[in-house]
Amino acid sequence: MVSKQEVLGKKPLHILEKIRENLEKLNEKMEVMIELQKHGRKDIQLLPETPLDVMTLLSMPDHLRKTAMAVCRLGRATAEETAQQTRRARAVESAYLNQLVIMGHLKKERKGRKAYFYVDRESQG
Amino acid sequence: MIILGKIIAVHSYKGGTGKTLLSVNLAATFVKHGKKVCLLDLDFRAPSLSTVLKIEKAEYWLNDYLNGTCEIDKVLIDLSGRIQNKGQLFVGLANPATEAMREMSAKDRKWEMRALGRLLALRNSLLNDKGFDYLIFDTSPGLQYSSINAIVSADLVIVATTFDRSDVDGTKRMLRELYDLFEKKTDIILNKVLHDVSSKSGKEEMQTKIKDIYQVPLLGIIPCFCEVLKGEGNIIFAQERPEHPFAKILDEIADKIDNNKT
Repeated sequence: MVSKQEVLGKKPLHILEKIRENLEKLNEKMEVMIELQKHGRKDIQLLPETPLDVMTLLSMPDHLRKTAMAVCRLGRATAEETAQQTRRARAVESAYLNQLVIMGHLKKERKGRKAYFYVDRESQG
Repeated sequence: MIILGKIIAVHSYKGGTGKTLLSVNLAATFVKHGKKVCLLDLDFRAPSLSTVLKIEKAEYWLNDYLNGTCEIDKVLIDLSGRIQNKGQLFVGLANPATEAMREMSAKDRKWEMRALGRLLALRNSLLNDKGFDYLIFDTSPGLQYSSINAIVSADLVIVATTFDRSDVDGTKRMLRELYDLFEKKTDIILNKVLHDVSSKSGKEEMQTKIKDIYQVPLLGIIPCFCEVLKGEGNIIFAQERPEHPFAKILDEIADKIDNNKT
């Protein structure tokens, strides 16, 4: 039998988890904004899905191409996994990945606490 | 540590630099050295492997694989029976029919993006699962979609170049504006060389010159051999004339690649 105290004990934990999840989301959004400002690209708007083909890769700024190439190689990756490939900081990759999502080149999917980034080759057209 | 195979794209700025000849003979050389090799014709605008390898008909083509209508196993043709040594050779052909060439040249960006995904998937399906040691992509010259897809998917890009002035300039530009941007390991093979490189000093002088021009590692210098030209693409020197100097140079090139010495 589950005691009343145990049930109550789970509630604050659940709230804390939610707070953590929301803070992470907020953090990602801030990272994107910082990156956009750094590169003077305040004009970037949410774009429709844009195929991540090789000509698009070629025309990208170097810092984004590196990230996009890593995701192409990995197929589906978290910011952590992408950072391992590019040997840059996780926070930096997180910002670039989110920027690529905004630009319509990558898709993002949350599974629990992890965010996965991938090229959506199937649904585009 | 598990040592996985390698994907090599053979590319050039201009046509006629000897990409197909090098691809076929490099594949044959690796096979001679006991490797399991897959040679894929990604030159959809001017397919030539079917002619060079004298394969009249294929049930499935690489076009079908990239279109997503079949898996890669259906495309590969096992030529291991044709060769007399312990290695294995498989090939995947581009469809040489005019209609197929026209269709491939009219593909849009979305199709090319999916094609890139399918080329990237070959690392798992062929290198990791089927245990191939080398995948060799023979590509179209210049800035073609299919070639850049091949370059992006490769671990090593071999650029076949000649001393033709426009080829030198174009190759320099591609090194800077294509391979560098994708951070690809790129090596040069100087082909059809008319200068005397038979002496040690002549060869060294040429090596220094090439490295100065291109600033990338030089994989090999191949003199213009009359016998190769006379062969008209009918002879695979690495297999049929293993004592020929051309075959010997390819042995050295294959060893360099195998030992990561470039």
